[in-house]
Amino acid sequence: MLEDELTVSTRERDGVAIIDLFGDITTFAEEKINNAYREVTNQGARFVLLNFRQNDYINSAGIAILIGIVTEVSRNEQKLAVSGLSQHFQKIFRMVGLAQYAEIYQDEDEAISRFKRLT
Amino acid sequence: MPFDVKAMGDETAQREPVEKVIELRLPSRLGYERVAMDTASALARRMGFHTDRVESLKTAIGEAVTNAIEHGNQHDAATKVVVMLTARDAELIVQVADQGRKPLDQECTTRQPQIAERLERDDKGGWGIWLIRELMDEVEFSTAPSGGNQVRMVIHLER
Repeated sequence: MLEDELTVSTRERDGVAIIDLFGDITTFAEEKINNAYREVTNQGARFVLLNFRQNDYINSAGIAILIGIVTEVSRNEQKLAVSGLSQHFQKIFRMVGLAQYAEIYQDEDEAISRFKRLT
Repeated sequence: MPFDVKAMGDETAQREPVEKVIELRLPSRLGYERVAMDTASALARRMGFHTDRVESLKTAIGEAVTNAIEHGNQHDAATKVVVMLTARDAELIVQVADQGRKPLDQECTTRQPQIAERLERDDKGGWGIWLIRELMDEVEFSTAPSGGNQVRMVIHLER
C-alpha cells in the first residue's frame, strides 16, 4: 500500500531514449530504474532522458539511485537529462549537485528540442 | 531540551496548549513516513506556509522519519517512531524520535556530502540529514536518556 508507488516505462523519441517515471522515487525504485536504464543502454542509447511524471516524493534514497545512474552514464559515455521535475525537486537536484551532470528541462518537449544540441 | 518516545508527549503537552500539538505513532516500516509528510503538509498549509516551504518541510520530515525507521529502529516491527507537530503563531516545530535500536553517530549529523566523491564510491547515499539541515530553519539532534535518537526541527512562518 505504502511501498511500491512507481511505474517505469521506456520509449524512444527523435533519437532520445526516454525513461518515464510515474510515482515515488525511493529505495523501492532502485531495481525498476536500473533495469530501465540497462534496457535502453543495451539498445544503444546515447541520449537518456529521465522524464519525471507525477513525482511528489523523491527522497535521499532516490537521489542515491539517480547518482548511480549518473555514474553509469559517464562510464558508458552517454548524455543524461531530466524533465518534468517540480520546482522543489529542481531545487533539490541543484543543491545536491545533480544538475552538474544532467541538464534539467521543464518538460519532455523542451528536453527533446534542446538536449541533443548540446553535443 | 531532551525528549523521548515515552515522555515526549507529556512534556510537550505541558508546555503547549494541547490543541496545538499533533502526535503520530508510526510503525517502523518504510512508507509510513508518507503519513507524517501528509499530516505535516496539511497542518503547514492551514498555518499559511507558502507552497515551497511546505515542500521543504515534507522532504525534511520524510528524511527524519525514514532515518528513524531504518537506522534508529532498525526496521524492528516492535518499535514505533513518534512524530510531534507543534503549531505556534510564527513557527512549526517537528520532533521525531525513535527507540534507539542503533544510536546515531553525532559526527554524521554535520557531514556535508559531495557528489563528486559519491560518484566514485559504491554507497551513493548519505544525503538525508544534510537535506534536513539545508531545508529547515533550526535543527537539533540529540539522544534521549533512554537512548533513543531525536531530531527537533523548526520552520519559521514568513508573512
